[in-house]
Amino acid sequence: MRLFNFAAEGGVPLAAEPIINLGGFGFTNAMFYGLIMAAVVLTLFTFAARRSTVKPHNKLAFAIESLVEMVIQLGEDNFGSRKKALKHLPLLLTLFTFILFSNLSGLIPGVGSISITNDGHVSPLLRPFTTDLNATLGMAILTIGTVQFWALRELGLRRHLKHYFSVVEPWWNPMNAFIGLIEVMGEFIRIITLSMRLFGVIYAGEVLLHVIADLGGNFGPIATFPVYLMEIFFSGIQAYLFMMLTMVYMANATHSDDHDEHDEGVTTDPVKVTG
Amino acid sequence: MEIDANLIKGLTIAFGAIGPAIGVGLIGASAVRSVGRNPEAQGKVLSTAFIMAGLVDAVLAFVLVIVFTTS
Repeated sequence: MRLFNFAAEGGVPLAAEPIINLGGFGFTNAMFYGLIMAAVVLTLFTFAARRSTVKPHNKLAFAIESLVEMVIQLGEDNFGSRKKALKHLPLLLTLFTFILFSNLSGLIPGVGSISITNDGHVSPLLRPFTTDLNATLGMAILTIGTVQFWALRELGLRRHLKHYFSVVEPWWNPMNAFIGLIEVMGEFIRIITLSMRLFGVIYAGEVLLHVIADLGGNFGPIATFPVYLMEIFFSGIQAYLFMMLTMVYMANATHSDDHDEHDEGVTTDPVKVTG
Repeated sequence: MEIDANLIKGLTIAFGAIGPAIGVGLIGASAVRSVGRNPEAQGKVLSTAFIMAGLVDAVLAFVLVIVFTTS
C-alpha cells in the first residue's frame, strides 16, 4: 500500500539535526543554511547599494530600490507618516527579505540531497532556516520585543500600560483589570501565532513536496511541479504576512490616543488586523 | 474492529481542509466584489485579501504538520 504511505521514511524530521557538535552545542543544518542565506541577502543589498544611481543603469539595483520603495509605501499607509515608516524600515525590510530568501532557499533543486554524517547519523547538510521552529520562534520574540521596546520608548510606561489596562471608561472600572490581563496574554499569543504560522506553512510545504514526489513514483518531477508553484506563492505570501503583521503591531503599539501630533501631514488610522 | 491509522490521517486532512477552503472562498468572493464596486481601491483590497488568505491558510498548514509528524 505505497499509495497510502503518508510520512515517507526519508521525509523531513520535525527538528533540525546537528551537523557539528561544538562543545555540547549542536550546530544544526538549519542554522548553517540560515547563515548562508543571511550572507546572500547582505551581499545582494550591499551590491545594490553600491550600484544605486539617480538615473537607474543597473537592473538589479533598480529592482531592489523598487522593493525598498514598496515597503516604505506600505509603512506610510500603516504608520501614517513617512518619517515613522523610515524609522522602522530596517527591521521590516530585513524580516521580509530574509524570510523570503529562507523560504525560497528550500526550493532550489538539490538542496536536500547533499548529506553529511555526524555521530553515525546521516542528515541533510542544508535545511531552510524557516522550517525550524526555533528559528521562527526566535524571529517572533525579536519582533514582539522590538514592538514593546518602541512602544515604551515613544509612549512611556504609563501610556503604554494604558493601551492594555484602560480600554473601558472610566479608568477605575474593575472590568479593565480582566480585559488588561487578556490583552497582555494576547501579546504572548501573538508570539506563538507568528512563529507557528510561518513554520507550519513552510514546513508543511517541504513535507508535501516529499510526499507528492513519493506518491508520484516515476512521474515525481511532473507531479511536484504544481506544488512547487504553490510553494513559491506561499513563500512570498508568508514573508509579506510576517512583515505586514509586524508593521500593524508596531503601528498599533506606538499609536498614541492623544490627538496633538497633526503636524506630519495626513494621518490615517492604522489597519486593524488581529491574529 | 481494527481501524487503519492512514484512514484517520486522510480524514484529518479532509476535514481540516473544509474550514480553510470555505474561508479562502469567502475572502476571494468579497475581494472580487469590492474591487468590482470600487476599482480604484484594488491595491489596498488585494493586499488585505492576501493577508487574510495567509491567516486562513495557516490552519491548513497546522493540520498538515500534525498529520505528517504523527506516525
